[in-house]
Amino acid sequence: MRRIGTATRSTAVVAAAPALLLLFSGNLARAGDAPAATAARDLVDPWELAERIDQRLAAAWKAAGIQPAPLADDAEFLRRVYLDLSGRIPSVGEARAFFDDPSPSKRRALIDRLLNRASFAAHFATTLRTLLLPTATNDPQMRQVVRPFEIWLRLRLADNTPYNRLAAELLTAPLGSEMAAGRRMPIGPGAFYAVNERKPENLAANASRVFLGVQVQCAQCHDHPFREWSRGDFWSLAAFFVEAAPLAPDRPAMMPVAARRGIEIPGTGKRVPPRFLGSPAPLPESEPASRAVLARWVASPDNPYFARAAANRLWAHLLGYGLIEPVDDFSAGNGPSHPEVLSELARQFAGHKFDLKYLCRAITATRAYQCKSAGAVPGTTEARPFAQMPARGMTAEQIFASLVVATGLEVGDQGNRGPMDLLDADSPREKFLSRFADTAPRTASQTSILQALTFMNGTLVAEATSLTKGATLRATLDAPFFDDAGRLESLFLAAYSRRPSQAETAALLALLQKAKSRSEREAVFADIFWAMLNSSEFAVVP
Amino acid sequence: MFDSDSRLSRRDALRLAAAGVVSVSSSGWIEALADEAAAHPARRRACILLWMNGGPSQLDTFDPKPGHKNGGAFRPIATAAPGVQIAEHLPKLAQQMKHLVPVRSMSTKEGDHGRATFLMRTGNLPQGAIRYPPLGALVAKELGSASDELPSFVSIAPFRPLSPEAYGPGFLGSQFAPLIVGESAGSVPMTGQAAATTFKVEDLEPPSSMSAARTNERLAILAQLEQRYTARQPTGPALSHRIAYDRATRLMRSQAAKAFDLSDEPTKLREQYGKNPFGQGCLLARRLVERGVPFVEVTLSNIAGNQGLGWDTHIDNFASVRRLCEVLDPAWATLMTDLKAHGLLDTTIVVWMGEFGRTPKINDNGGRDHFPQAWSTVIGGGGIHGGQALGKTSADGMTVVERPVAVTDLLATICLALGIDPSKQNDSNVGRPIRIVDPKARPIHEILT
Repeated sequence: MRRIGTATRSTAVVAAAPALLLLFSGNLARAGDAPAATAARDLVDPWELAERIDQRLAAAWKAAGIQPAPLADDAEFLRRVYLDLSGRIPSVGEARAFFDDPSPSKRRALIDRLLNRASFAAHFATTLRTLLLPTATNDPQMRQVVRPFEIWLRLRLADNTPYNRLAAELLTAPLGSEMAAGRRMPIGPGAFYAVNERKPENLAANASRVFLGVQVQCAQCHDHPFREWSRGDFWSLAAFFVEAAPLAPDRPAMMPVAARRGIEIPGTGKRVPPRFLGSPAPLPESEPASRAVLARWVASPDNPYFARAAANRLWAHLLGYGLIEPVDDFSAGNGPSHPEVLSELARQFAGHKFDLKYLCRAITATRAYQCKSAGAVPGTTEARPFAQMPARGMTAEQIFASLVVATGLEVGDQGNRGPMDLLDADSPREKFLSRFADTAPRTASQTSILQALTFMNGTLVAEATSLTKGATLRATLDAPFFDDAGRLESLFLAAYSRRPSQAETAALLALLQKAKSRSEREAVFADIFWAMLNSSEFAVVP
Repeated sequence: MFDSDSRLSRRDALRLAAAGVVSVSSSGWIEALADEAAAHPARRRACILLWMNGGPSQLDTFDPKPGHKNGGAFRPIATAAPGVQIAEHLPKLAQQMKHLVPVRSMSTKEGDHGRATFLMRTGNLPQGAIRYPPLGALVAKELGSASDELPSFVSIAPFRPLSPEAYGPGFLGSQFAPLIVGESAGSVPMTGQAAATTFKVEDLEPPSSMSAARTNERLAILAQLEQRYTARQPTGPALSHRIAYDRATRLMRSQAAKAFDLSDEPTKLREQYGKNPFGQGCLLARRLVERGVPFVEVTLSNIAGNQGLGWDTHIDNFASVRRLCEVLDPAWATLMTDLKAHGLLDTTIVVWMGEFGRTPKINDNGGRDHFPQAWSTVIGGGGIHGGQALGKTSADGMTVVERPVAVTDLLATICLALGIDPSKQNDSNVGRPIRIVDPKARPIHEILT
């Protein structure tokens, strides 16, 4: 009851607002409730939001007769949240400290700690960069433009810059002579323009996909049969990016904004004026058709797409699947599986000034995030919608960082700058990343034969598990206070972030007992460690 | 094949039903080929793609224009196909033209290297979120088998930077990613020690300090760990991991990996192919097809003396093309005779193409620029009625005057020759199924046997 009243009030606010704001009809209206109007009245802390989401999900499960999976144990939760928020597995020390902590609120405290670490900014910078520049991931030449872009993201995220301001900064990035070929890109979002060749149609398609959660590029060439966007809709959005197109191939400065307004739909001779997506009326003549004007609309708390798209993406990042799937494909025929959950998330996100950490806190506090991994419940083998956590593959960056943490691998030739460093161009890390780079969704993550061979036989893992160069292995074997069972436990904590079961310990001790000399025993430990790192348990986010 | 996560959603199924989508093979083709395959189950079909990076000049290779100034410096020569002439620097190949069909009426609209590469390799322009797979991955999925020792899609000496996505598996997933060998082969002529190592599969062998016995012990421990973990994670990424490791270890342990070692081939044959990466790559392609790999591609890009992208002859076209032909001619001609000698030609389709052709008008630098409006590809071998030319361009080479061929037409033709139904659908990464080739494609039935 209250919700319907709220919607009416917010629609009235929208209708009374200046012409820049939008009018809707039908499905779009319901899913696109303007979030800002309720924000002041109904802001809640992240744990209260988590509670509300859990209640709604529980109601949906009950209605569908679904029994949700039980809560994940400490080990699964620990590994999952470290990989999701820090981009790497926990160290042995971090794992032991967490397991031994008796406090009932330790999960919440851990999340708070992880959100405040530099690794959060680094990991999310990589995640956003992969989202914004998907084609650059696999291309060695493109890595030059990727680096300053990712550094820019990392700086903004470390400052906890509101997400809408980050989007606006990207959309209004200054473009000029520094984009000329051969010049180094400054730290900033310029790469987005480089990879899209500064073409208005490419920029519009990708900006819409990423920030609005709407795929319009199919309408680039023809009215799409399944979706509601027309060619006019697409090109009207592209019109805002006309100023980004270079004046000439060798003159990279921007077009002056005062140049002819609107854009011609190729091959038709028809010009369309700039118009926001979903808006029936074009941009008023008094407003310049600039990226700045578009950015203001995108980043506005009243934009019906932005908060929802961001909330959906973050949900998908943490839960494996979005409330709208595919995450960038909202349309009349493809709405959210739990519309009220998404609306609530979007509303609170906008109300909290698009604070990513707020939303992370809320989502990771839900029961949905904290339940057991798929297949872990006997009798079930598939992830049900948010009643069970789907297993996800690690990204290349996560695999590398986790390998470093697990094995104490030394990286970087000017001393160990840590596993997340971006500055070395030809480092072992870069070579590894290009071998393992994969932009597939994490729930559909696949391993290739070459990747398997690299991990099994390549020098990186060989060194990491060698008795002379592998730091963790060496330390474990040398520590005087361990017996063999203790050593095994240490290796399990290092690779799997959990303690071994009785049966696992017994089986592996039996192997060790076959060794006839100390050096043979050490070799068996190395073999066990190697096998653990090559196993699927290491590669999967539980 | 499909794991549980890739089922069509109900939404998609309804959408397909509403659109009246029915998958039907056009002319009884598929049934006929399937019958044949059933009769000879061991004779699997294969495709060898010779990829000419940079956009090869058609007027100087397969569509000579002797009566026009655009024809340039090269003269045409007669071939073993009556009435079909090709340019003079492909003399050995001229003898093989009875097996091949030059398709002279290719017409596409994409003149940008990256986009055109993606278009020709996948049949689609790179747009938005859909990760279209290249032909190699599509064929690997249809004709390969998870129990094979060798991967089903092998790419020899590719030049990927123009369009890295066109060398991946696209939405079909890592299982169908190409095994890439010889990527940094460049223009090093293959002699002596270098020859043996150029096509080595990277990291195929454990470090030399590891004995075979020790490797087996490690793998046994790994198997033990996986056995326990499978109960907890039977599907999804963990399953893919296990499959990849299974195939990788089979490759490590099998004799099949010896395919990559060319040293057991007769020296004379190796010389006939040409002691360079492309020539030896073609030999490797024959060996892989012989061992059941359904799709192998060999790239001719950089050769000694040419700068940049081999066939991208904006400058000094004739000298460059001649050098390229000196590599291409013996390699391809030997490949044809070698396939025939091994009884493989009837079941192997050979395709020659680049991302576009080159301008008939010669520019001020004696070069030719990008030209997608009217250009040539060549197709032949198994399933193709060789010895004829398909399509015609105008006397000046500027336009197609007969039987224009789009990229989808060509890819559909290749599929049919391989016994693959091009209208078959695969689950994509955007939630809707996508056919192997666009249903509007018009296969070139005139040249299919």
